[in-house]
Order: sequence, then C-alpha cells, then structure tokens
Amino acid sequence: MTARRTGWLFVLPFLLVFVAFLLAPLLYAGYLSLYTKGLATGTTFAGFDNYTRAFGDPSFRKGLRFVLKFSVVVIPLQILVALIAALVLDEVTGRLARFSRLVIFLPYAVPAVLGALMWGFLYSPSFGPIEQVAAAFDVRAPFLLSQGNIFYGLLNVVTWQWSGYYMIIIYAALRSIDTSLYEAARIDGANARQIALRVKVPMVSSALALILIFSLIGTLQFFTEPQILTPIANGSVTPDFTPNIYAYFLAFRYAQFNYASAISFSLGFVVFLVVAIFMYATRKRGGLFT
Amino acid sequence: MRKIPAAVLGLTLVLATSACGGDDKSDAGTAAKPTNCTNKIVNEAAPRVLVWAWYPNMAKVVDNFNQQHTDVQVCWTNAGQGQPEYEKFQTAISARKGAPDVIMLEADQLVGFEIQDALVDLAPYGAGDVKKNFSDGAWKDVSQGNAVYAIPVDGGPMALIYRTDVFDKYGIKPPKTWSEYADAAARVKAAGGPVFGDFGSNVPAVTTALMIQKGAQPFVYDLADKQKITIKLDDQATKDVLTYWGDLAAKGLVGKEDQFTTDYIAGMVGGKYATYVSAAWAPGYLTGSGVGAGKDKGKFAVAPLPQWDAANPVSVNWGGSAFAVTSQAADKALSAKVAMGIYADEASLTDGWKTQTIFPLNQGVLKSDEFVNAKVGFFNGQTANKDIYIPAENAYKGAVYSPFTVFYYAQLQAQIVKILGGKTTGAQAATDLHNQVVEYAKTQGFTVS
Amino acid sequence: MRPRHVGAKLLLLALCAYFLVPVWWLLVASTKNAEALFSGSGALWFDGFHLVANLRDLFTFNNGEFGRWLGNSVLYALAGGVGCTVISVPAGYGFAKYSFRGRNLVFALVLGAVMVPLTALVIPTFVLMSNVGLVDTVWAVILPSLLSPFAVYLMRVYAAGSVPDELLDAARLDGAGELRTFVRVALPLMRPGVITVLLLSIVTTWNNFFLPLTMLSSSKLFPLPVGIGLWTQLASSNNAGGQSLWNLIIVGSLVSIVPLIVAFLTLQKYWQGGLSVGSLK
Repeated sequence: MTARRTGWLFVLPFLLVFVAFLLAPLLYAGYLSLYTKGLATGTTFAGFDNYTRAFGDPSFRKGLRFVLKFSVVVIPLQILVALIAALVLDEVTGRLARFSRLVIFLPYAVPAVLGALMWGFLYSPSFGPIEQVAAAFDVRAPFLLSQGNIFYGLLNVVTWQWSGYYMIIIYAALRSIDTSLYEAARIDGANARQIALRVKVPMVSSALALILIFSLIGTLQFFTEPQILTPIANGSVTPDFTPNIYAYFLAFRYAQFNYASAISFSLGFVVFLVVAIFMYATRKRGGLFT
Repeated sequence: MRKIPAAVLGLTLVLATSACGGDDKSDAGTAAKPTNCTNKIVNEAAPRVLVWAWYPNMAKVVDNFNQQHTDVQVCWTNAGQGQPEYEKFQTAISARKGAPDVIMLEADQLVGFEIQDALVDLAPYGAGDVKKNFSDGAWKDVSQGNAVYAIPVDGGPMALIYRTDVFDKYGIKPPKTWSEYADAAARVKAAGGPVFGDFGSNVPAVTTALMIQKGAQPFVYDLADKQKITIKLDDQATKDVLTYWGDLAAKGLVGKEDQFTTDYIAGMVGGKYATYVSAAWAPGYLTGSGVGAGKDKGKFAVAPLPQWDAANPVSVNWGGSAFAVTSQAADKALSAKVAMGIYADEASLTDGWKTQTIFPLNQGVLKSDEFVNAKVGFFNGQTANKDIYIPAENAYKGAVYSPFTVFYYAQLQAQIVKILGGKTTGAQAATDLHNQVVEYAKTQGFTVS
Repeated sequence: MRPRHVGAKLLLLALCAYFLVPVWWLLVASTKNAEALFSGSGALWFDGFHLVANLRDLFTFNNGEFGRWLGNSVLYALAGGVGCTVISVPAGYGFAKYSFRGRNLVFALVLGAVMVPLTALVIPTFVLMSNVGLVDTVWAVILPSLLSPFAVYLMRVYAAGSVPDELLDAARLDGAGELRTFVRVALPLMRPGVITVLLLSIVTTWNNFFLPLTMLSSSKLFPLPVGIGLWTQLASSNNAGGQSLWNLIIVGSLVSIVPLIVAFLTLQKYWQGGLSVGSLK
C-alpha cells in the first residue's frame, strides 16, 4: 500500500503538468472537434461529421499522401546515414573521429527555424553556393524548392538536421556493447564488416526501433521546415502541403478551429495506426514499453 | 490511492475552466493595465490602450501620440507583420481573450474579422468626424454601409515602376496600355534584354487588383445581410488578365518568381526586371531593402499604371493599413479615440512620408505643397507624388472584399502556380478558382449568387 | 594504423563536409555586410570583414532588443530545462521502480498523447492560460515546457537499467525513507541520465518556436527564434527604415546557436553516456 502511494507521489508532479498542458487541452480540442462553425452561420453540434469530412477531404488526403511518401524515404535515409556514421565512429579513434562526432551532431543544436533559414540561403538561385558551383560549369543548378524538387530540398534539410542526433543514440548504444562479443566473432573468422552487420547492428536494434518510432511521429506531423521555407518556395508549399500545415491554416487563417481540431485528431489517429502496425510487426524484438 | 481522485479532480477543474472560457460570451477584455510596452509611457497616471502595429516608424508615432495626450496612453507592441499578427488575433478571437484594444489591419482583411464580430463599429464613437480627412475610395475600403470598422492611415495606389537604364538602352517609352506593355516586353527580349516584369504567385492581391482594373467584380458583399454573397471569378475580365500574364510568363517575357524574397530584391538591384507593377509604398520598401543604393542608384522612375482602355483609365490599390478597435477592448470609447488619433498627427504623418514608410491617405497631407512637390530621391528627383500617385489615389473608387480573403488568396495563388507550371490555362484557372471559392462559401453557410 | 581505416576516414571527412557546410556558410556570412551578402559571387568565402560592425548593429538595433531576446531565451531554457528535469526524473523513477495500480495505463496514455499534433493544442492551451491570466507572460512559455513525455520515457528506461532493486531494498532495510532512498541511492546512479535529460530539455526549450510564437504577443518577451522570425518578417515584408536587416539576422542566428554548442562541448562526456539509455534493456 505505501509502495503504491509513494509511486504515485513520484509521478504526481509530472502528471499534473501532463494533465494541465496535454491531456486537458487535448480533451477540450476533442470536444470542440465535435462542433462545426461556418463563417456565416453559428456553431452547431456535428457529432463525428467533421471526421467523416476530414477523411474524405482531398486536401487532408493529399497532405497525408505526402507525409507518408516522405516518411518512407526520409526515415530509412536518416537511419542509414546515422548508422553508418555511428559504425565508423565506433571503429575509428583519434582526433578526426572526435571532431566528426561533434560536427555530425552539431545541427541538432541549431533551431529548426534557423536551419531552414540557412538552407533557404544556400538554395538561393541568385546568390547561393549551389548555383555558384553550377555556374562555374556553365549549367543551371536545379532550384531545390521548386514544385518538382521541393521533396528533395526538404529531404536534405531534415536529414541534415536530425541524422546527427540519431547517430549519437546509436553510437552510445554501440559503446555499451560488451567487446568480448567482437573477440568471439573474430575468433570465428569474421572480418570488421561482418562484425558490424552480424553483431553490432542486431545489438542496437532496439535503439533503431526507438529512433524509427520517434522519427515516424515527427515526420507524419511534419510542419516547421516547410512552413519556414514557404515564403521563398515560389508557391510550392501549399496550404494543404502536409496535414499539420493544413490544420494550421484552418485554425489560424481560415477561422475554422473546430474542423482544424478534427483534422489534427484524424492525423493523430493515422500516426497511432502506423506506429501500432510497426510495433506489431517488430514485436518479437522486445517491446518498447516494458 | 487517495491521489487518484485528486488527479481526476484537477482534470475536471481544468476542463471546467476551459469550458467556461469557451462559453463565455462577454466581450469585456482584461481590466488590468497592459505592461510590457515596447515604448515608454509618458503619463503614468493615464489609462492605457494596448495597440498592435508594425509600421517601421511606429516607435516615433507612439511617442508623438503619448506626448500629445494626458487622458490616454498607448502601450504598443509589434506582434508580427501582417499575416503573423492576424494569426495571433485569430487565436485571441477563438479563445475570446488575449486581443489588443486597437489593432493595425490591412483593408482586405477587415471583413473577415468583422463577420466574426471581432471589430467595433466606430461610427457611434465619432468616426464621422474624421471622414472628411479621406477620399471616398479610402473610406469605402473600411466601411460597411454606415458602419465604419477602421480608420485608414496609408494606401497603395498602383503604378508602374521601371528601370530607366533598361528603357533607354532598348529605346522603350513607358507603356500606356497593357498591349503596349506586352509589345515592349517582346521587343526587349528580342534584343537580348532582361525580362520585363514578374508574375509572382505570392502576390495574389496584385493579380486581384489587375483583375478589378479590367472590370472584374469578384465579390459583392454587405455585412448588413451577412449570409448573402455574390461571387464572380469566372468572368471574362478575370480570364483575360490571367491569360495575359500567363502568356507573358510562358513566352519568357516576365519572370515567374515570387516577390518579397531576397532573390527577387537581388534581381531588382541587378536589373533583372525592367518593370515592377507595384504600389505607392514600393519606393520605401525597396529603399529599405537596399535597392537604389548601390550601382542601381538613380535608375528607377515611375509611370502611371498601364490601362486596358487608355480612354477610360481605372485606378487600383494594393495594400495599405488602418487601425481598428477590437470587440475585446476594455474601454471602447477610449480605444476609438486612439484608433482615430494615432498616426493622424502632422508630425507622424510627415515622418511617415518623408522616410517613405507610408503613402498617407490623409487629405491634409495629400494636398500639402510639400508633399505634392516633393522630389522623390528613389526616382531620381521625379515629382512622383504630383505626377503619378496623388492622381491615382484620387481616382481610386474603393473595392469590395470577401469575408474569406485569405482562403481566396490561397486558391488564387495555387492557380497562378499551376498557370506558371503550364498545367492550366488562364481561362480554366478562372473557372476552377470560381468553383472552389463558391464551394467553400457554401460550406461556410453563405447563400451564393 | 591499418589501411582499411583510410576509407572510413575519407567517409568521415565527407560527412563532416556535408554537416558543416551550412554552419560554415553562417560563419562566413556573419562577416559580410548586406551588399556582399547578396552579391553574386563566393557565398562560401569571405568578402570584407564586418563581423564586429554586424555584432554592434545586432545589439543596438531597435534599442538593443536582441540582447533582451537573448536574456529571455536563457531564462526560458534554464527554467524550462531545470523544471522539466526536476519533474521528469522522479516520474521516470516512479514508473520504473513502483508497481502501482494504473501504472501501465497512465504510461501508455502519456506516450499515446504524443501522437496528436501540437496544432490542436494551441487554442485550448491559450484558453487555459488566458483564464488564469498568464497569456503573454513568461509563465506561458515556461510552464508548458515542463512537460516532456520523452524525458520521462528516457528516465524510466534509465532508472530500470541503472538502479538495482537490491540496493534500494538494502537502503530501506537500513531505515531510509522512500524519498531519502531516491535522493541518496538512486539519483547518484542516474546522474548521466539526469544530465542528458537536462541538456535535451534545455535544447528543446531553447529551440522552441511554435509555443512562444502563439503564447506571446509582446515582442519584449520573445525568445531568440521568435525574435529572429520577427526580423525576417520585417526584412522581407516591409523595411527597417533604410537599414537592411539580413546581415543582422544572419549574425543573430550565429549568436543564438553558440551557447548550445558550448554547452554540448563542455558536457559531452555526460550526455553521450546518458543517451545509451533509451536503447538498452
């Protein structure tokens, strides 16, 4: 009995903050999403109409398709970059390795807003280095924020921003592996590459799963980078570019907070579904919640 | 275990307060004195009115106001330029708390807030007394019938800014009509010159003004009958204007870049664009961005906006702002006094136009010798006010905006992007735009005709 | 040195180059005046040296509002970061070491709530804050920053892995209370994890943009990213009274990332150890 009470006491301060700043607003938003408000008409109870409307809304579906497609490319790419960097850093020692570890991690310390701003300058077709290098070879560099290229432009910004953070998590996991395992593998005749693939990667698989889930949640809620790049993206970032941007437009520019809440919850539901599917698929590796 | 009920209780309490906030229909704002003013308060004892505004010389304007008033003091902050400020205002409207007393808004945004009952009709607070200071067109932009929702400060009568070096080099005279404009563009291009102008997707307000110039009347709306709206975006004038610019862009005669970006400014400095279809505040904006200061110094001039029918010229407007009183204002009479008095004194207005921060709408300034005969440095000493901008402002008839300007602009921008990408024609874009906006208006509960 | 490391080192150099380019550009651009910034050549190399002048302009423009924003950022990051750590560490410990009823349900709720995007929360949080009169005050930024489900998750896993139950039981047998056991026995064992959580929550608060953007309307209270955001609006939508703001925005960006880099450098041996927590069972 006392142990139970003490457990709650340790958790209580956090729970209060959690209830005040996440759960209560969430419930309130959920309540609002059951109403509908037209500019010309008043507020009326709508039940789940906003939700049926959301899943049939071409703008929501278009944004959803984009973030799903983006996730499929950006997450493996980030994890691959992070994993390779971590494996190399685990192997190589010395000044270069220490320096690289910090440099690769550096973008994590740059606010996303400023990161996007910097890349915006670098992408510039009139004074950015990409164009300048291309001009030296007498060709025109592609504008990475144009309609056709913005997928890649954003891919680069996000990979740059987050790979280092993931690299550090994997690296930390690698460092805590018992090195006698490597010795055993070496005695069995494995070379460095085989050790990396057969011993190290499986040992950090739960770190990889964790990264994957967090970046999945983050990418499906993609917002800041495209939002910051909007003014210089020549109209490529439309109001329905991602579901979160769409919800933002609805709430703050179109005065439709009720419907915006429904869009946010619908997105939350999709995120939940995708994460659940992923966890179900990888359940044999050991749960994350134990 | 006793802690569980406590947590549940906390949750209920929090929810109850939120729900109360949501249902609270009272529009009285916080009575507490606004603090965190960016400016210094001159008369500490006087009641304060919280103002959001983003004019670059606002600090001086606020000081002028506060020094001249003992009964009220302005507490000012810059909550964002334009759209970001509107987003904050919208949050405060949805939350029914947190709005300032007086807010700076662009004319095309007013109806969208009026329909949410977020702004106060200033007519009962003596707005009629200052009506004489403004042209009919400027006054119409802030009014709904007899109701007045804001007091104008500056406007944006449109004209054609051009590069004299480019025009001289290719032997071009400022085009008087849009067909001359297209011809001149073709000639400069054929001679290996730069693009003639720019069809940017992110300035839908310009495209709308140009549609209106051709005779389009996109919206008919009167707040007195707030559920009814007439929408006409698939008319010939709209189709013609979109087709005209789409063609110029497709032929490479004008640029396809967005405006207000550093790239665009760099292009202006470098002579990448021979003309800039813009408003009277543009010289100030360009100067502030570093245009006309270096190699391009003295190379800009301005001519009247080209016309579709030179015999029947139409004057149009882009931008310009006004001060409105929000319905959350604690003391509406006092706030109205601020809305009417701020940026209306001679010192502020003079500072505004001399620093090229604003093109004033106050008739006292528009008729003053000093303003009329001012030689504008950016235009190499041209008397631009007298020759171009004042006649344009006097001929401006006012415009009618919809209650969903931001949505309409976003759709128009998307169509322009499509036109520039060669994915649609001007005529098809107008039809699609019309259908989207009509559909949206219907879901918002409007009766559309 | 074995030759196979040559390939690895080349790879590292390539990665360094990629991750450094934007920061290098920022460093170089900070030394340029507005004209050199937009001139068409050499974005990645120096052109004149105006760093000192830029810094002076940065801290004097608009009555030195940048200095105020820097101070605000420090306040928010420290208050939010320390507060978040103080709340999250006991919570993670509680979840890991006590099996109270409803534990798994609550924990699942905490992690599940992360999946709904923040956009939905802005207006309710705003309503909540305005009802207690805290909108447009420093508390509107600090209080929500105290919440970090990720930090609690991290601490739960870390406590489970680094604090043996036997030690706790031994302390209890010696007559130590639960709080004393936590402070004297568990906390020292969890130190790298605590520092990691502290550092991560400071970074999160320091880099936070959306929350202060919506909660604050007085520019005097802005933290750095929001303030710089205001300047970019100023620079691109209107004018700054004849002064180009872009060189200030760039040097301001540089100044605002330096403190975090210094913090990471000085504390690196702690946080790199602490981060292994989320990954090992």
